[in-house]
Amino acid sequence: MNGYTFDWDVVAKALPSMLEGLGLTLQITVITIVLSMVLAIPVAVGRMSKIEVVRWAAQGYIELFRCTPLLVQLFWIFYALPALTGVTLPGYVSALIALTANLTAFMAETYRSGFQSVPVEQVEAGRMLQLNRFQQLRYIIVPQAMRQQLPVILSLNISLFKDTALVSTIAVSDLMFISNTISAQNYRALEIFTLAALIYFAIAFPVSLITSAIERRMQSTAGPGFKPGPSLLARMMPGTKVATS
Amino acid sequence: MTHINLERKGTPVTTPAHAAVPVDTGQVLVQARGLQKSFHHRTILKNVDFDMHRGDITVIIGKSGSGKSTLLRAIAGLTDPDAGEISIDGKTVFEGTQRTKAWAEASANVGMVFQTYTLWPHMNVLDNLTLAPRKTRGMAASEAKDQAESALDEVGMKHHILSRPTQLSGGERQRVAIARALMMKPKLLLCDEITSALDPPVAAEVLDVLRRLKEEDGIAVALVTHDMAFASKAADRVVFFHNGEIAVNATPEAAFDNCDNPDLKKFVDAVRF
Repeated sequence: MNGYTFDWDVVAKALPSMLEGLGLTLQITVITIVLSMVLAIPVAVGRMSKIEVVRWAAQGYIELFRCTPLLVQLFWIFYALPALTGVTLPGYVSALIALTANLTAFMAETYRSGFQSVPVEQVEAGRMLQLNRFQQLRYIIVPQAMRQQLPVILSLNISLFKDTALVSTIAVSDLMFISNTISAQNYRALEIFTLAALIYFAIAFPVSLITSAIERRMQSTAGPGFKPGPSLLARMMPGTKVATS
Repeated sequence: MTHINLERKGTPVTTPAHAAVPVDTGQVLVQARGLQKSFHHRTILKNVDFDMHRGDITVIIGKSGSGKSTLLRAIAGLTDPDAGEISIDGKTVFEGTQRTKAWAEASANVGMVFQTYTLWPHMNVLDNLTLAPRKTRGMAASEAKDQAESALDEVGMKHHILSRPTQLSGGERQRVAIARALMMKPKLLLCDEITSALDPPVAAEVLDVLRRLKEEDGIAVALVTHDMAFASKAADRVVFFHNGEIAVNATPEAAFDNCDNPDLKKFVDAVRF
């Protein structure tokens, strides 16, 4: 350990500020998730459109944000966009735009995959029962697609929560920015960044457990003959196998 | 391999004890003229003319890819023909290459049951049946429930009203799918190989439901099936498709006993043995 002496006092001192930073991190995360989940629906529908221009536009958007690093997107909106438009956006707004645009692209692909997993005959049955396109989406396609893709959506949201750390690079005072600032002031990088990692973990791990539980529940209730399995706590443990027969 | 015997026993051929609703079988319900359809340069329908009368059961038989399902889908509005004309209940619903304005109204008289189980798995049986009447016709939930109970009773599935589709067997799901189609009060029910995934006794139960619908409610049924026993005993007309054309369109007796079409004979022999 190179004779390193831990100083846990700095942790106690830094904690209130870091929790303040966590508040901003969570705020950015929640706003981004809510916006992306809504905006991804028209993008996913556009991606499946019969109109070629719409389909290509949606595909182009998705690929642009999927195939470039989030950090580049963040910098482009914060530094490059003002050069193009003459309007300088605050770091917080730039962060929200970049993160939302990025997550929307991934979310749209997740939705599309979910939409297409619904058998076409089920949609045709809806058509034969006079349900219009919106009703088919609302009552037949979206509920099944969301159910099918819920684990993926939750995984994307966990990734987004961790990726918000990148906004510290454009001076948004999130958890990572505060941690970095404190560690630069007291030279206690080990304690401060360990605490930051623990805080991120404390938020992300329960969501990860819930994701696993939902996935297993979906597997075990997929068909007839479902028998109750182990207790909820046991089933939530990562790596737990659930008998499917 | 499925062995189908024309004289197969166990296929219920029952006549309801109560008096049947009088049905005017003399009027044309569906008329198709000169239907053409190609997929990827392969012609599926070649100038097909097809008539169906009110309250009739028309059994459509033929090899896979001969055009049977495409004809049903064209009538249902799920596939647009490349050319031709379709009339339902006296109204032209398809002309040239597109649906006419009359389609919206006429389509309400057409129900369809598919080969695969198309019940929506995230809803129970009651919701499967009541969704469309409530959302498209503004029916009150209580009225829709009453109607659902009645439709399920008609297909012998009332006791499963709160079941999930995943809790039902294949035959039960198809009977619920029929009940769901009945909720919209169709004059015409199109059934695309609805028994092909079912064991023969279960298939016979489902087909018996169709026969009752014709006899009791006067609903016309167009059924694509390989069940020759049902075709010979319950059909009013048998239509044999061969290479995208209607090769035989006759009564079951004429089609099976007095027909000299070699393709039909070959097909029936192949299905029987």
